[in-house]
Amino acid sequence: MLLGTIIYGLLNSAVLAVMAIGFNLTFGISGVANFAYGAMYIFSAYLSWTLFNLLDWPYGLAVSASISATMALGALMYRFVLLRVRGQALSEVIATFGIGLAILELFHYLGFVGFEYTLPVLIDDGIMIGDTMVDWQRILITGVAGLLVTGLWAFTHYTRLGLAFRGIAQDERTALTLGIESDRIAMISVSLGCGLAALAATVIIPLGSISPSEGYEVLIKALAVCIIGGLGSTGGVIVASFLIGFAERFTDTYVSSHWTMIVSLAAILLVLGFKPSGLFGRQKELEERI
Amino acid sequence: MRSRPVKYYLILVCVVSGLIVSAAAQAAEPIVIGVPTSLGFLEGKESHKVVQMAVSEINAKGGVTLGGQKRILEVSSMDIRDAAPGVPVPEALLGIEKNILEKKPAGIVVGPFRSEALVAAMDLISKYKTPLIGTIAMTPASEAKVKEEPEKYKYVFRNCLNAVYLVKYLVGTMEAINKEFGFTKVYIMHQDVAWARATADGVKKSYFEKAGWEVMEQEAYPTGTSDFSSALMKARSKGAQVIMPIFDMPQSGTLVKQWKSMNVPALMTGFISPLAGTDAWKSFDGKIGGAINCVFEMGSAIASDKLPKSVEFYNKYKKIYGKELQAGHGPAPAYESVYILAEAIERAGSLDPEAIVAELKKTDRMGIMGRIRFDAGNQVIYGFDPKETAVAAVFQWTDDGKRRIVFPEALADSKIQLPKGLKSAK
Repeated sequence: MLLGTIIYGLLNSAVLAVMAIGFNLTFGISGVANFAYGAMYIFSAYLSWTLFNLLDWPYGLAVSASISATMALGALMYRFVLLRVRGQALSEVIATFGIGLAILELFHYLGFVGFEYTLPVLIDDGIMIGDTMVDWQRILITGVAGLLVTGLWAFTHYTRLGLAFRGIAQDERTALTLGIESDRIAMISVSLGCGLAALAATVIIPLGSISPSEGYEVLIKALAVCIIGGLGSTGGVIVASFLIGFAERFTDTYVSSHWTMIVSLAAILLVLGFKPSGLFGRQKELEERI
Repeated sequence: MRSRPVKYYLILVCVVSGLIVSAAAQAAEPIVIGVPTSLGFLEGKESHKVVQMAVSEINAKGGVTLGGQKRILEVSSMDIRDAAPGVPVPEALLGIEKNILEKKPAGIVVGPFRSEALVAAMDLISKYKTPLIGTIAMTPASEAKVKEEPEKYKYVFRNCLNAVYLVKYLVGTMEAINKEFGFTKVYIMHQDVAWARATADGVKKSYFEKAGWEVMEQEAYPTGTSDFSSALMKARSKGAQVIMPIFDMPQSGTLVKQWKSMNVPALMTGFISPLAGTDAWKSFDGKIGGAINCVFEMGSAIASDKLPKSVEFYNKYKKIYGKELQAGHGPAPAYESVYILAEAIERAGSLDPEAIVAELKKTDRMGIMGRIRFDAGNQVIYGFDPKETAVAAVFQWTDDGKRRIVFPEALADSKIQLPKGLKSAK
C-alpha cells in the first residue's frame, strides 16, 4: 500500500502542478491574481463538451477551439476590465472573482449539472506498477506537467515574447524604457494563463466530471499551490505541488479521506503564518525582513 | 365631436369586461403547489418535471374539485440550491419561506434535497402550517421529530424511501451476495451527509457486524469529492470483496470510472446516483457492467413489468420529454405526491391545512411505487411486495448495457452475476 500511495502521491502532484501553472504564470508576469481561473477551467470544459457532444465536432478540434476561446475570453477580460483597475490589487481580485462567479453561476443557472458532463479519456487503459493499477490518463497528465514546466522554461528563456515576459516580471518600468509594452504583455499573460487552465481541464476532467463547484475547487487548489510555493515562482509551484500532492494522498490512506480537503487550506494558513512570501517567493521577502 | 362618446363607451366596456374577467378568475383561482428544491440537480430537475406532468394531467380533467367547483393546479417552483456544496442551510430556508410567503401554496411537494435542510425547515413548515410531502431528503430524523411532537410537525410527510428502508434493501442485497458467493469482506464509502452516514452506519450495525462480515474500512467523503483512487487502492490491497458506496452527488460517477480503470476486483454494490438511469451506459463509456445499484422508488429511472403502472409512468415521461427518466430517486414519489395532495384536498373539501393534513394521513393509494400509506411518523411504508407497500428496486448493469432487477424477489428478473475477474468465495 505504501508503494501505491507514493505512486498516487506523485500522480496527484502532477495534477496539481498542471492545475496551478497557469495561475502562477499570470501572476508572475502581470501581477494579476486571476480569481476567475477556476471559472476559465470550467468554461473550457463545458465548451469542449458542448462542441464534442452536441455539435459532433471531432474531439481534437473541439478541444483546440475551447482552448482558443478561453484564451480569447481571458484577453477580453484583461482588455475591458482589468486594464482599468491594473495595479490596484484588491480591485483586480474583486473584478476577476466577480467574473468567475458570474461564469460559474451562469452554468449552474443553465442547468449544466449532472454526471453526463465529462470528457473522454485519451488512452483508455492502465498498467500495473507493483500491485498498483495506474491508468494511462494519469500518466499522460504527469507527462503534460513535465512538458509544461520545461516548455515554459524554454519559452521564457529563448523566445522574444518569453524574454519580454521576464522583463515585465523583473521590472515593469525598466522594461517599458526598452520598448516592451507592458499592457500588451500582461494581456497575453492573462490570456496564456487562461489557456493553460483550459489545457489542464482537457487532461484532468476525464478523471472526473464537470460541475460549477469544481471551478471553486480548482481555484482553491491553484491558490494553495501558488501561495505555498511562492506566488510567481515556477520552482515553487513544482515543490508545492509535491508537498500538497503527497500530503493529500497520505492523508487519504493513513488518516481519512474526510480530512483531505483540509490539507490544502491548512497548508496555506501554515505558510502564511511562518513565511508569507511562500517557500520560494521573492515578492515580499524584503518587506518580511524589514 | 361625435367620436368622443364612442371612445368613452369603449373604455367603459373594457373596464367592465376586465372586472368581470378578474372576478371570474378570482372565483376559480388556481391552487398553488410549491416545489422548492435543488432544481439544478438531476433529482430536483426531474422531480419538478414530473410534478408539472401530474399537474397537467389533473388540469386536463378540469382540475381539483373543491366546494363543487373545479380549480386548476399551478406549480410554483424555486431553486433553493441546498444540494450544492457550500450552500448553507439558512439560505435554503430563506428560499422555502419566500416560496410560502409569496405564493401561498396549499401544499409543498418534493421539498428540500438535503436532509439537513429538511430537518431545519420543519419549524418553518410548522409555523406557516403548510403541508409538505417530501420526496428527496431521507433522514429518519424528520420522522423522529414528527413522532416526538406530532401536533407541531404533523404537516411534514415523506413519500420516498428513507435511510431506514434503504438499509433494509441494502441488507437484503448483501444477504443475497453472501448466500450466493460467500463474500464477507466489505469496504464502505459514503458521502459525508446525514442520510448517507445514517445508511452506512445502519447497514454496518444491523447487518455486517451481526452477520460476521469484516468491514475493512468506512470512509466519509465531503460533497464534491471527485478523486477516490486512494480508497480504491486500499480496498484492493485489503482484499475487499464488496465495495458499498452511498452517494448522491454527480461527482460520484467518478468512483465507478475509477473502479473500472483501476481493475479493483470487488463487487460495487450500493447507491451511486449517476448510475441509476440508462444514460449512465453512454456517459461511462459502457464501463459499468457488473455494478449493482439501488433505485429508491419503483418508477424513478427504472420500471418493472410486474408493476404495470411504473411502466406506464416511465413511458409517459419519455413521450412528453423525449428522454427516459435518469434520476433513481425523486421522480416517482414526486409524481405520486401531486395526486396524493390533490386527492386529500378533494376529500377535505377545503384548503384548510388542518383538514388537508388529516386527509393526507388517511392516504391509501395504489400507484407507480406500489401501495402508498403513511406510518405514525408520516413516512411512506416500504416493503418488498408492491401489493402491500411501496417498493424500491436493486438492479445490476450487465456487460451489454442492460439493467436487470435483482432485488426484491417479487420484482427480480435476474440473479446477481459476478463481473469478470471476480471469483466466488464459495
